Amino acid sequence: MDMLAHLKPHALVHLHIGSIDMSISGHVLWMWISSCVIFFLFMFGIKRGGGLIPKGIYNLLEGLIVFINEQLVIPNFGKEEGKKWFPFISTLFLFILFNNLLGLIPGSSTATSNINVTGTLALMVFFCVQGIGIKKHGFFTYVKSWVPGGVPIFIAIPMFPLEFIGQLAKPFSLAIRLFANMFAGHAVLLVFLNLILMSKAYFVWIFPLSGSLLVTVLEVGFSAIQAFIFTILSSMYIGEAIHPSH
Amino acid sequence: MEGMGLAYLGAGLGMGLAAIGTGIGIGLLSFGAMEGISRQPSAANEIRTTGIILTAFMEAIALYTLVVSLLLIFK
Repeated sequence: MDMLAHLKPHALVHLHIGSIDMSISGHVLWMWISSCVIFFLFMFGIKRGGGLIPKGIYNLLEGLIVFINEQLVIPNFGKEEGKKWFPFISTLFLFILFNNLLGLIPGSSTATSNINVTGTLALMVFFCVQGIGIKKHGFFTYVKSWVPGGVPIFIAIPMFPLEFIGQLAKPFSLAIRLFANMFAGHAVLLVFLNLILMSKAYFVWIFPLSGSLLVTVLEVGFSAIQAFIFTILSSMYIGEAIHPSH
Repeated sequence: MEGMGLAYLGAGLGMGLAAIGTGIGIGLLSFGAMEGISRQPSAANEIRTTGIILTAFMEAIALYTLVVSLLLIFK
């Protein structure tokens, strides 16, 4: 299927360290570009426009930060813990958001449409969840918090493996959700534009192009929604490990 | 390469069945959301946010099937 050949990562600069293939593909390049975009946007956006009534880019950035703080960090962590966790959560949100949005430029690659990128992000969240749970409560109390209190012992014993698989499945589903949403968005776009080639006539260009325009607009919405979902679920999991609800 | 026809069939059929489940789920969710908004219009913002989050959950389940379908086609 050479139609989907655009979705596979191509190496732009081949480099091998030992036997590990570290070539720079489009995904790596656009991850770097999006990190630079976030960095410079925040560094130079706050130069002017501060003060009592924010104006310009500062207004947008402040709205974004307040949104992350109010909706994502404080409901799940509380005000005190939220201050410690805000950098991580905001990094997750902004990284995923900018990677998703920059992938909509024609000719770029979406870094989050690579399972390795989303898998790494989910792995970081997994280690955060388990690590903060073990650090705050001690290993055995944390493991005991997986099963609800007050169940008889012969129900609690088989529940531990099941609950452990559930704990593994949550970051896995985070990774797959983000990856599949971004990948499917670009795949739908490719299929739409291939309708022009498949019909072997150039006068039908208006229909697939308008369809692909609509899909691109939908993808803008989906990018923001998927970034939000990933971040709110990961902050819910971390908050659950800090204050177990049962 | 004998089973390739069956693999393509499985991929297409699986995705279609997953779409049925997702459609029913999101339909039920929007029924509940519409009723909630009409009963208390001041809660519309919270219902909208919760509705989007729950829709993303259900679409993720359909997209697991998409990943399996893509694996079936390309292997």
